[in-house]
Amino acid sequence: MAGLTLNNVTKKFGAVSVIKGVDLEVNDGDFVVFVGPSGCGKSTLLRVISGLEDVSGGEIRIGDRLVNDVQAARRGVAMVFQSYALYPHLTVEQNMGFGLKVRKVKPADIKTRVREAAATLKLEDFLERYPRELSGGQRQRVAIGRAIVSDPAIFLFDEPLSNLDAELRVHMRAEIAALHQRLGNTMIYVTHDQIEAMTLADRIVILRDGQIEQVGSPRELYSHPKNVFVAQFIGSPKMNVVEAASLSAVSEIGGDLAGVVSVGMRPEHLTVTQPTDGLFRGRVSLSEYTGAGSLLHVEVPGSGTFLVLQNGPEAAETGAEIGLSIEPENVHRFDANGLRIPSSNSLKGET
Amino acid sequence: MTYRQQQRIKRICWVISLSIVAIPFVFPFLWMVSSGFKSANEIFGQPSLLPDVWRWRNFVEVFEYQPFARQYFNSIYIALVVTGLTLIVSSLAGYALARIRFAGSVLLVVFLLSALMVPEEVTIIPNFFLIRWLGLTDTHVPLILLPVFGPQGVVATFLMRQYFMALPKDLEDAGELDGLSRIGIWWRIALPLSRPALAAVAIITFLHSWNLFLEPLVFLSSLEKFTLPLALGNFTDPYGMPLWHLQLAATSLAVVPVIIVYVIAQRQIVESFAMTGVKG
Ligand SMILES: Nc1ncnc2c1ncn2[C@@H]1O[C@H](COP(=O)(O)OP(=O)(O)OP(=O)(O)O)[C@@H](O)[C@H]1O
Ligand SMILES: [Mg+2]
Repeated sequence: MAGLTLNNVTKKFGAVSVIKGVDLEVNDGDFVVFVGPSGCGKSTLLRVISGLEDVSGGEIRIGDRLVNDVQAARRGVAMVFQSYALYPHLTVEQNMGFGLKVRKVKPADIKTRVREAAATLKLEDFLERYPRELSGGQRQRVAIGRAIVSDPAIFLFDEPLSNLDAELRVHMRAEIAALHQRLGNTMIYVTHDQIEAMTLADRIVILRDGQIEQVGSPRELYSHPKNVFVAQFIGSPKMNVVEAASLSAVSEIGGDLAGVVSVGMRPEHLTVTQPTDGLFRGRVSLSEYTGAGSLLHVEVPGSGTFLVLQNGPEAAETGAEIGLSIEPENVHRFDANGLRIPSSNSLKGET
Repeated sequence: MTYRQQQRIKRICWVISLSIVAIPFVFPFLWMVSSGFKSANEIFGQPSLLPDVWRWRNFVEVFEYQPFARQYFNSIYIALVVTGLTLIVSSLAGYALARIRFAGSVLLVVFLLSALMVPEEVTIIPNFFLIRWLGLTDTHVPLILLPVFGPQGVVATFLMRQYFMALPKDLEDAGELDGLSRIGIWWRIALPLSRPALAAVAIITFLHSWNLFLEPLVFLSSLEKFTLPLALGNFTDPYGMPLWHLQLAATSLAVVPVIIVYVIAQRQIVESFAMTGVKG
């Protein structure tokens, strides 16, 4: 087991710079999730760490060892692919033991280790089967099993659950969390599923365009996003961000408004009131019933559409005039560069 | 008419029309085999599908007339060696062209393919001078080297390259993480998954070598070095007229390995499609 240190890591494909200087410190045993928009370089960064892609610049350390020039198989990492990447011509048992066989481990030892991993993942009954005879969830478990068997210092996951249906995804998510608990290895996990990121991660790394926007615990990122991008990226539905000038109510929210260009309010923090009572008012243009509550699209004159989560069975009807209000400490303020301004009103929970 | 009946009639119509279409292909074959059992006189007498008298002696005379067993063996071993070498060379080269990024790899493919446009008849003379200069005339070496590294090899390489390019890259990445070298990935992942392509290459290569005529004609001169296509044309009387009964008996014998290769390779193709099921 070991931690991971990235020091100004860059990656270019030809002339195109895909990773533009990433610094990251991952502690031993941490579960770190990379999130970011499609094409921001998550997979590339993971592949650079794994050694499947050469690094163009900077340093990668696994534990204390500089691994820039160490080949993938010797880095002590194992990877779980989105496509599972199971060898179609080998049985489950052979798939899981393949890496050990290549490394010339004794057949008896291979067998023991494969059986152990299979027991952990409840795969004992499938050892003789071929991948094509397994369901998606079982294949994913085999892929994870193959990673476990090689006993890596670091597990790398590239969107391992995105080919599974919603229910199975929730289930496998819990299994991966349990696996991390039990094994205690460092795990790095790429996803673009919000919930996966929030639930699994000790720390989330938000990437944009080949650079790190912010690193922090899910809680930190949610309550103290560094900038508008992070604020809107974390949380679902995404945060409403409007120009401060367009909303007269901003002044009522109070606090120091010097330099504030835009303000952000999360849909779940806005509450629906009588039109006359709220801080500002708008008209419901769409009301989406989700069971536990409703997602309202509210047109606020001059500011655009706000998303509002209304809890409970009661829902404002489409076309209704409503008022909206929010606790001052839940309002995020951003300056001209999109950076969040910490304010006295929102110090609550700051670490 | 129920749907089932309709389907039945459709099927019957298909079988009948396909049978009719098959006649021109099957008939000469049957005629060849049956004439192999006839005497020369009977072949040109009253036409009949089956011989009046089965002349098994034809098949003995075939071997007495010239060193036919030796020639048969020549053809078999040359075709097998060519097929084996082509499989190795084309899958290695095809893999390199598909997966290894090196300067000019695409250009190289274009260059190889453009070489296919030159007809064999054009290259046979320079090839002859080359082979003679190497002192390899009247040996089997040119019959092995020319197909492997010539147009046939290029076609095989191209087929393999296309197939390799379509294999999931993730599998090879997984192999790399499992500790395989390039060669290891080729041998233990890419090849097992390419059985359909390998079988196809094996068939066309074997057949091409088996039917090769111009090259043996140009390069070989001694009877016991002959391959089958040359030997078959050699069953003649002292005046150079063909001995039809022997020629047809020998030709019937020459078809046997082709049928065997087809059966084996076809099963490989079918099986491996079921086997690999290359998907997520
Ligand atoms: N082998 C390659 N050659 C050239 N460009 C590449 C290569 N691999 C990736 N890229 C480019 O690098 C960028 C980042 O790709 P990457 O796959 O890392 O994105 P990602 O964050 O994983 O996206 P997604 O969420 O869609 O999986 C993309 O613009 C992509 O086009
Ligand atoms: Mg990706």
